[in-house]
Amino acid sequence: MKKRRSQLFYLIVFIFAQLALFSLLGLWIFRYVFNHLNITQIEKDIASRVTTEGIDVIILICGCGLFAAIYLGMILIFRNLNIQLKIAKLYDNFIGNITHELKSPLASIQLYLDTMDNRDIPRSKQKEFIAMMRRDTNRLTGLVNSVLEITGLEQKRMLFECQVYNADSALRTVIDEARQQLKLPVDTVTIRGEVSLQFVADLNALKTVFRNLFDNAIKYSIDPVQIIINLKRNTKMIVIEFCDNGIGIPFPEQKKVFDKFHRIYNSNIPNVKGTGLGLYLVKEIVRHHGGKIELFSDGEYKGTTFRIKLPIFNVTRKRYLSSLLKITRLMRQRQEVNRG
Amino acid sequence: MDNNDYKGSRILLVEDEETLAIGLEYNLQEEGYSVVRADDGRKALEYFRSYSFDLIVLDIMLPYYNGFEVARSIREKSPRLPILMLTARTEHKDRVLGLELGADDYLTKPFHLQELLARIKGMLRRKTWYNEASNVTPIYYFGNNEVNFDDLSCRSGARQFCLTSHEAMVLKYLVVNKGRIVSRKELLDKVWNVSTEMETRTVDNFIMRLRKYFEPDPSNPIFIKSVRIAGYIFTS
Repeated sequence: MKKRRSQLFYLIVFIFAQLALFSLLGLWIFRYVFNHLNITQIEKDIASRVTTEGIDVIILICGCGLFAAIYLGMILIFRNLNIQLKIAKLYDNFIGNITHELKSPLASIQLYLDTMDNRDIPRSKQKEFIAMMRRDTNRLTGLVNSVLEITGLEQKRMLFECQVYNADSALRTVIDEARQQLKLPVDTVTIRGEVSLQFVADLNALKTVFRNLFDNAIKYSIDPVQIIINLKRNTKMIVIEFCDNGIGIPFPEQKKVFDKFHRIYNSNIPNVKGTGLGLYLVKEIVRHHGGKIELFSDGEYKGTTFRIKLPIFNVTRKRYLSSLLKITRLMRQRQEVNRG
Repeated sequence: MDNNDYKGSRILLVEDEETLAIGLEYNLQEEGYSVVRADDGRKALEYFRSYSFDLIVLDIMLPYYNGFEVARSIREKSPRLPILMLTARTEHKDRVLGLELGADDYLTKPFHLQELLARIKGMLRRKTWYNEASNVTPIYYFGNNEVNFDDLSCRSGARQFCLTSHEAMVLKYLVVNKGRIVSRKELLDKVWNVSTEMETRTVDNFIMRLRKYFEPDPSNPIFIKSVRIAGYIFTS
């Protein structure tokens, strides 16, 4: 396979292209000024016959405009190329991670199957091995689901179960279900505040949001995990603050954690498995709800707070929320037609 | 499973995937091996320094130090300890890097239990063969060269240096089979226990290195000669 060139290579190409462009411009100005001087010298002879001043000014203005357009285009292309290179690099990491994440549980399942096929194993041991295989299949299922969820979300196929709910009771139910899925004891999660307001949400998608936030809090904690969730409101939005006592996120990483495929390595918790899709999925789901997510962490070992803002129904983003409800209605109608 | 002549051999199992490690530990113990388990590169090196082992089963993607780093550290101190790399990485460059860093064999996940156990047995057999062969003639002389197959130290004229485990095993195999053509596949099979044709280039790299060490003129070898298509022959 052809080796992918580094960002430095493209930066150098970009700088040379800029130099070439400026040189061209310099030559062009030089030629223009030189011609102008020549024309001035012979102006007296031909002034009576030719008038070029007006045309020259138009050409100069057009030239400058074209030059600015080319320059702007080059900058845009360079920016886009940089983003693509970054994504390609992260995608390589993702492939490496996902290969490991897929093959390790597969290898484990195959090993237990081979073992049970080739050896006489006592019943108690067999049960232990089956439990191990179940753990691995659950891991594989989780991985496949997260990849499918991302694909669904990117193709806007996921949020079609949106309805108007009372935010307080819906959020409490969703948070509790997500907690149970991750087998977190009740006393590890404290919910404070109240938001008896209406909002539009796909509860399954919101459950995925909280499941990922819980999962991250568990994975990135050295001490037993403790989570506080504050439910608040401001004039237009419902505000959910998800605070954990984990290892926190260093400042340089805080902007990147929501990027697709991005993963943080911490030498004190080196064995964290993942694909770098969890927080990207969280961000995308919140964004599809018409909301925003922000991250606050005072640095390493100082915990992390995720602040999710979701629009209050009939107060803000009315048109967008109506479109979500409309899509849900249409999808249901289509499903009913298909069933019929 | 089969009778095992290498029962009691001590194996260091370095694997960070808990379910896989438990299954491997069970199977190795059932084969009669004594197993110590490490779940990261740091622990692997700690155990390696504290205890003696006959073989190491080593994952590549490990916390703290990866498998390549662990293999390099182990090779610095113990050039002849067999290392079997076990990994999800299947790229050709990873295999070549693993083998050149001193891994004796390379198995990709998912693998078959019988294949893994056969390779471990093969590696223990080769270790025994090498030890026995070295005990009979630990120091071997050819031309202006002297090779100690025990501590892998060498002398070529006034120059002194050390061979790696694989370099020593390749040379040992050629010396034991002096005067007979040894094919690349045979070397791969006997020294690395790899039967594919993918890594024949690795053998050529090792031969090139041995020629640089011992031949007066590596481009016109007199000890390790190439036999077109067939392989290599050692003469002294």
